[in-house]
Amino acid sequence: MKENIKQASRNGALVGVILGFVILFGLTTTLSEILGDLFRLNSNSRTGNTGGLMLIFAIIALWAGSKAAAFDKSSWKTTLISGLMSGLALSVIISALTLLIGTLDAADVEMRDYLVQLNRQAIQFLLYGRSLWVGTLITFGILLVFSIGGGLLAFFLEDRKVGDLVYEKSLSLRDKVLEFTIIKSYQENPRSKWIGYGILLGIVFLFPLFLGRYWNYIMGTIGIYVLMGLGLNIVVGLAGLLDLGYVAFFAIGAYTAGLLTAPAPIPIQIGFWPVLILSIVLAAFAGILLGIPVLRMRGDYLAIVTLGFGEIIRVLIRSDMMTPYLGGPQGVRDIAGPSLFGLALDSERAYLYLIIFGILLTILFTNYLQNSRVGRAWMAMREDETVAQAMGINTLYYKLLAFATGAAFAGLGGALFAARNQYTGPADHTLMVSINVLCLLIVGGMGSVPGVIVGAFVLKGLPEILRELELYRLLVFGGLLVVMMIIRPEGIWPAPRRMMELHEDEGGGLTQAASLVGDEG
Amino acid sequence: MSDPKSKKSAGPINTFRIAQGIILILFLTFLSWRLYTVVSSGVYTPDTWVRFALSGLIIGSVYAVIAIGYTLVYGILFMINFAHGEIMMLGAFSGYFVFEALNFIVVNPNTGANFLDTYWILSVILAFIVGMFISAVCGYFLEKIAYRPLRGAPRLIPLISAIGASIFLQNAAQVTFGPQRRTYNNPDALTRSQGWRIPVGGEEVMLTYTGALTFVLSILLLILLYILVMRTRYGRSMRAVAEDKQTAALMGIDVDRIISNTFIISGALGGAAGVMWGIHNGIIYHFVGFIPGLKAFTAAVLGGIGNIPGAMVGGIILGIVESLGPAALGIDFQLKDVIAFSILVLILIFRPSGIVGEVLSEEKV
Repeated sequence: MKENIKQASRNGALVGVILGFVILFGLTTTLSEILGDLFRLNSNSRTGNTGGLMLIFAIIALWAGSKAAAFDKSSWKTTLISGLMSGLALSVIISALTLLIGTLDAADVEMRDYLVQLNRQAIQFLLYGRSLWVGTLITFGILLVFSIGGGLLAFFLEDRKVGDLVYEKSLSLRDKVLEFTIIKSYQENPRSKWIGYGILLGIVFLFPLFLGRYWNYIMGTIGIYVLMGLGLNIVVGLAGLLDLGYVAFFAIGAYTAGLLTAPAPIPIQIGFWPVLILSIVLAAFAGILLGIPVLRMRGDYLAIVTLGFGEIIRVLIRSDMMTPYLGGPQGVRDIAGPSLFGLALDSERAYLYLIIFGILLTILFTNYLQNSRVGRAWMAMREDETVAQAMGINTLYYKLLAFATGAAFAGLGGALFAARNQYTGPADHTLMVSINVLCLLIVGGMGSVPGVIVGAFVLKGLPEILRELELYRLLVFGGLLVVMMIIRPEGIWPAPRRMMELHEDEGGGLTQAASLVGDEG
Repeated sequence: MSDPKSKKSAGPINTFRIAQGIILILFLTFLSWRLYTVVSSGVYTPDTWVRFALSGLIIGSVYAVIAIGYTLVYGILFMINFAHGEIMMLGAFSGYFVFEALNFIVVNPNTGANFLDTYWILSVILAFIVGMFISAVCGYFLEKIAYRPLRGAPRLIPLISAIGASIFLQNAAQVTFGPQRRTYNNPDALTRSQGWRIPVGGEEVMLTYTGALTFVLSILLLILLYILVMRTRYGRSMRAVAEDKQTAALMGIDVDRIISNTFIISGALGGAAGVMWGIHNGIIYHFVGFIPGLKAFTAAVLGGIGNIPGAMVGGIILGIVESLGPAALGIDFQLKDVIAFSILVLILIFRPSGIVGEVLSEEKV
């Protein structure tokens, strides 16, 4: 019982601290706006959607209470006490925070200078537009009551935590969807597989016709990220080389396309198509050039060196020294677009088709490679380099091949990106591009083509829909990466093989015990 | 792995090695020729060189303090704590807030003198304590949340988690504190751009007070850490864990606690570095930890990762080279970072074990 109380209050305190930070991030304000709009809660034009805020507090308290009660569910009394303790800890922390903020605000301290999210309006919002004590009391009450409710709920839901239930439901739903769709059926019947592909292809080629200019542009951006993700998938997912400087090849592609088609700063103007091929070749060449010295390093060293390489490229692009050749911070303007049979492809839709075409080629190529000798060599290398070498695989050669192929795709993506925007500059080639591509790969599922597509839609598409959350996009990405690594390192739609690798020691008691203390490379 | 010597004798000399050697020799020749022409041309007078060296030494000592954080963690967990730069950034912000708060406290209503300027030594100590404490707490939770559940996973997984934590902390700071750059409100006694003037070759070179403070404090921290790791019982158990976790656990060492404490120590060092960075450089923002973090990692690799004295030497060398490099090679000062990263790449290619030599347990190399 005593242990129970301790655990519960510690749990509540942890949730309280996290919620406190969320309030300081200003995330509660944004979220309650969204929730309030969604459920049409009492909207007060002066303070905003305070009903949404109450809802958020209620949900979090409910979750915290049920979580705290999960330690011991022998009777409804213990869960009640757990919920109470966790609720007390949670509400004391949050009320203290609102009280502190409110008091400081009443004393005319401009907190905004230091914590930008805490402006007058946000503070009023946090107190529901009421006086300091009333507002704090409401918060206290909501958190306490719902936490107790959560504790009781946990008892009545028997030995399942609410979160687990949702998670399991979503998993089984996914399985059902998978079973239902073509993906399952084509595994059984080779003919239906082709029909499925045909339908999919038809959808892919028809959907841009139904989208407006803006959505075609967004889809194009997602498409370029899919393209780069597929390229990085070969390097990281298949060959197991962590490349954090992927943007360097993207930049090489973009700048090759830019410099050779724009009138300034280099007065050479060649048509788009030869330049496209040239930028792919140049990027691949750069991949080999970088790869030769660095590919013999240990995995994490490789990550840092590629990161350093990406930064070097970016600093060089920006520097005064290279301005006469690369345009400096202003970048390259007036990049010419492609034309086909004398028809200029300059609408967003045309670019989207171009990108889709590139993606299809890349997928075919990746699939071909994956199931060939080369792909098997890559996977063998990823799983155990020493053994792969012993089996007669020339690891350096295959690593170089992976690096160059990945770089070539990045070059293609860069060239298309530059041509579509008719501009490229140092701001397009920051480290964030590399990180974004890596994120989509990991979230989607490493080594799997559908995973990359899902990942790109989640990471680049969702923020477009949730415009209000733009400020928190990267914050959420970062958290998502960590959470993903802990609960589902293989991604949303993993390659079956990769899943096996990551879960290989599950079930084996001995290996698990060994991995508790030791760690393997 | 049974016979470590057989690995050292590296097998047949292949064309790859030869090509590497030739490239290295050509590169060094070019470098020395360039150095000779620039130095003999006399663009820079001796006092300028001293000035560069001095600023390099100061920045280098900060790099050294950050680098220790990387080296300690790498030595024990064999992972790059990617978020270490962000831990440093949080330390810098904590120090900033301490100075701001103390600036508000008026100790003498008649003159309007505030706490910060009146008791400046106390203020600086307080800033360091708070900064180190906050960073240490962050380091502790970082390990507990982002790294501990992943122990024993393939090496790529914790690295990605670390990158995620780094992005998260950076953006958390941006969202809470705002994207603007903030200026450290130093006490009057530590005004930047003031210091002792030292005559060099007829000219005067200034050693700023903040620079001196930074350098002395860094060296002090490094010495303290060295004693902690090499001379105490606690340090011995740390080294034992770094060498072999399983055996250390069998010897009765609480491995998990040692790892937690390592993160606390490395976080505290990062926080101290952050406060020093703020006091000396003056400008902080949410991205401030990233580049120093990368460079400190370079320094740790330069000295041989896992090697504590190596990280100190590496940091100081990196600071000096980075500061003297652009002048010595006659290139743009904007390209300072390029020099640092080039050093990283070159070291990793030609001497991955660093200058001093890396100290890693056998299973890992």
